[in-house]
Amino acid sequence: MRVFIAGFGTVGQGVAEVIASREEFFLKRYCKKIQIVGVMDSTTYVTDSEGLDPLGLVSVKKETGKVGKETYTDALKVLDSVEYDTLIEVSPTDYDTGGQGLKNIVHALECKKDVVTTNKGPLAIKFGELISLAKKNKCKLKFEGTVAGAMPIINLCHDNLIGENIHSIRGILNGTCNYILSKMDSGQPFDQALKEAQQLGYAETDPSGDVEGYDSACKVVILANSLFDRNVTLSDVSITGITGITEEAISLAKSRDMVIRLIGEVGEDVLEVAPRLVPKGHPLSVSGTLNAAQIQSDLAGPIAISGRGAGKTETASAVLSDLISVMDDRKE
Amino acid sequence: MIVNAELYVKDLPGRLVGSLEPISMVDGNIKGVVHDREQIVNNRISLNVTFEVEDSTRLKELEEIWKARDVIISSIDSVYKTYPMEYLLIGNLTAAYIENLMEEAAKRVKVAAIDMRYSSKDLHDDRTAMISVKVREKEDIEKLDAFLRTACKEGNMTYVRGL
Repeated sequence: MRVFIAGFGTVGQGVAEVIASREEFFLKRYCKKIQIVGVMDSTTYVTDSEGLDPLGLVSVKKETGKVGKETYTDALKVLDSVEYDTLIEVSPTDYDTGGQGLKNIVHALECKKDVVTTNKGPLAIKFGELISLAKKNKCKLKFEGTVAGAMPIINLCHDNLIGENIHSIRGILNGTCNYILSKMDSGQPFDQALKEAQQLGYAETDPSGDVEGYDSACKVVILANSLFDRNVTLSDVSITGITGITEEAISLAKSRDMVIRLIGEVGEDVLEVAPRLVPKGHPLSVSGTLNAAQIQSDLAGPIAISGRGAGKTETASAVLSDLISVMDDRKE
Repeated sequence: MIVNAELYVKDLPGRLVGSLEPISMVDGNIKGVVHDREQIVNNRISLNVTFEVEDSTRLKELEEIWKARDVIISSIDSVYKTYPMEYLLIGNLTAAYIENLMEEAAKRVKVAAIDMRYSSKDLHDDRTAMISVKVREKEDIEKLDAFLRTACKEGNMTYVRGL
């Protein structure tokens, strides 16, 4: 299978490394390798219809800060410049308009290519349209990596829990907020915990997307649309971030053996992101950058999962599972 | 109604069953029985039974049957199932404000128990109130959520509720 990687930051490089490390697996399972025939970052690109060396691409990016020598102004023309089967769209997300990622996904689906993406913005804004376009053109659109990184919540519900009626999903969907709240549990003030999260690379320089709850809300929208057959957007979600949480509130919660966690909740009538009181020991009382979710279904009852919600290899792991699913569906 | 009764019955064969049978006679439904053979008073053993009967008339009938069968009723109380919920309200608030707020809430939902704790004021003059409530009906949780959410929005407070 020939893939084009759009976006070659942390996640894109992780995907290239994972494709290289799983070469034998693909040969054994499908008798063929995954060929990376094109890669673009924000300004440059490189293509080769015979396939590029994944680890070589990562080295060049690390040494020069760019993946290719050719520059571009029209990403769609770059996508059209080489034949590929699947677009791996891992460019930076844009919650407001969907950004270039949305354009890339739409273009690939219009050209009848399968798409695997970790880009939340396009799915939070245009989920219904993208799914319809994929169905119309008989393409796969896979997006496990958009929600909770390596924690396989979408595929778990789609595949393993296919016969269940899922009543609700509640979860910690943003590792940055969980890191900050966990640090506050041990006495750090909010500002200091945020600064530490920024220094460790967990939070952006502008952390508003995380701490005001928009990142979690995007994931709530994706879960609602993909698992509950709803047609909602970001504006339908009731969003409260964690900026109003004080050390005193954390202490009072602690006095009752509880912690405060930012919980995204999806149900038939609920779409919410809000700080909630969680009893210590509950599956959603996890600490650090971990993500966790509790699925409530009619037959199985409550099912809890947790895992790393972000990170280069962890997100690439979600992309890998989607690539395998695409290849299985194509009966390659 | 759900009722809990502490009974003392003679420690003789058949008396234990004989004291539970009248509950069925008044169309009641036994929820749980704790039989404590170690607690013997005047040759009587203690029996704690929780059951459901239709109304107080049926309960009176039951009490009469027990008395006729020489069953001593040590205590008898109605018990309710309660639904707990915890809330944190953070903002420029006073204890009096929160107490008034919860009095208003109690007019809208059936509150079985309530406990309030407060933090001292922080650097920004904000305080936190932690409210632990038990309500008698499940639907009351939603009503209380909606009431407190609106109050927090109007009062510019941060609203945090339990799971």
